[in-house]
Amino acid sequence: MKFIERLTAIDRRIIYLLLALVTILPMLFPIAQKVRVMSPVEKCFNALDTIRADKALIIDFDYTPQDMPELEPMGLAMLRHAFTRRIKVLVLCLYVQPLGLAQAALDQIVPEFNNRAQSNADSIIYGRDYVFLGWQPPPLIPILGMGESITNVFKRDYYGNQTDTLFLMKTIKNYGNVELLISLSAGSIPLSWVAYAQNRFGVKIATGCTSVSAGDFYPYLQSGQFSGLIVGMKGAAEYEELLARKLNFQTRRKAGESLSSITFAHLTIMLFIIIGNIGFFMKRRKK
Amino acid sequence: MKRTFPLILLMLFGVFGILPSFLPHPVIQGADEFVRNDLLRIITAFALVLGLGSLLRLHFEKIKRHAENWPYSWILVITFFITSIIGLFGGISGHGILPTRIGSFPFDIQTLYLRIEVPLGATMFALLAFFMASASYRAFRARSTEATLLLSAAFVVMIGILPLGDRISHRLPAFAQWIMDLPLVAGQRGIGFGIALGGLATELKIILGIERSWLGGGE
Repeated sequence: MKFIERLTAIDRRIIYLLLALVTILPMLFPIAQKVRVMSPVEKCFNALDTIRADKALIIDFDYTPQDMPELEPMGLAMLRHAFTRRIKVLVLCLYVQPLGLAQAALDQIVPEFNNRAQSNADSIIYGRDYVFLGWQPPPLIPILGMGESITNVFKRDYYGNQTDTLFLMKTIKNYGNVELLISLSAGSIPLSWVAYAQNRFGVKIATGCTSVSAGDFYPYLQSGQFSGLIVGMKGAAEYEELLARKLNFQTRRKAGESLSSITFAHLTIMLFIIIGNIGFFMKRRKK
Repeated sequence: MKRTFPLILLMLFGVFGILPSFLPHPVIQGADEFVRNDLLRIITAFALVLGLGSLLRLHFEKIKRHAENWPYSWILVITFFITSIIGLFGGISGHGILPTRIGSFPFDIQTLYLRIEVPLGATMFALLAFFMASASYRAFRARSTEATLLLSAAFVVMIGILPLGDRISHRLPAFAQWIMDLPLVAGQRGIGFGIALGGLATELKIILGIERSWLGGGE
């Protein structure tokens, strides 16, 4: 086989093997990466950071195992941020599949704080500092219904407690008591929050999305309908960087650790595109 | 009647869906709240039961007829019943009436989800990276000026968003962000307007009964 033909016909197994190597090796031997924080993430951080004491934050965990590597680090970082600032947090899902992942995120973050806590006031307590509302189908019901009454939509929380008996829910009645809603989703759910919750009730929305779906959300950031936008694992790494820089939060950075793998995987894909194009042009010139 | 009644229902609810956004009258708002909070929930519950029933019927039928790949239907049916029983009676983290632990081996619904569904789902999606690499190598060609522009923009954004971009030049991440903030937004907004107007026209056609293909029957 001629050299030009080889350039345009690399066996897919070689591509797979190389991609696997450049993804796995940086995880085993990490290289420190400097993270530059971009304005969409900083906006989201500031929106969460400035939530007033009497208002709450809603985090809509709507990612599935498929998008978990990109979106879970955002959820963890936001919970850490909110609990550090003692912001009241309501967690919910619009679909059934993410419930287990939202539960896993809470199971990881709450003990992190409680293991360090020295008193009841320092601790993160269910019902006082946060509530896991669970899931109510179809998505339109909670999105619109929470504008009138959160406890009417979620009569029981994820664990079966009556929500109107929980301490936190006595002060957080509807969107009027919510300063920011963050939707972590790989789909178009953040746009539904804008269309229904924001247009009708004026609630501020920010979102965390996967890299491939980011293009759909930039127009909403530019128009101010999104108060912040976190894109993919790089965006999550930027949020972790801000947590460390501004709140001196030193913990394992899940997204930051993966940046080397992402860098090398992107470079490998670009290299193959360049090789393919060189072969293509050489072939065309020959014809 | 079989076709007229659904059309009337759709027209009524279609118009009623629009009204609360324009009329703040308490009667309209109250009715809207009833439809959303009560009626929609009841319909959803029925739809859920109907969906699960239909899924099971389909797979039992496949098993009965030994249709193509019928052994997989057994897997679906068995896992459906096992997870349903554990989920219904075992509680979320194993605090229900059904014991969900044998010695140090837990099998509550959260453990099953985290240990089986999460790795399976993540693996399926992770495979995409390999297919994408192979596909972009084969298909991403600078055949025309437009394709070259697209390729160049993709390269700038890919390098710009990575930490490497900042090392190459401090201006590169800002340039990548500019591509996302302006040319991308301009294109997306144009597409968005087109989709919205097309959607609006289709919705009106459905509400007014001009578009009836959703009724089925091939008419």
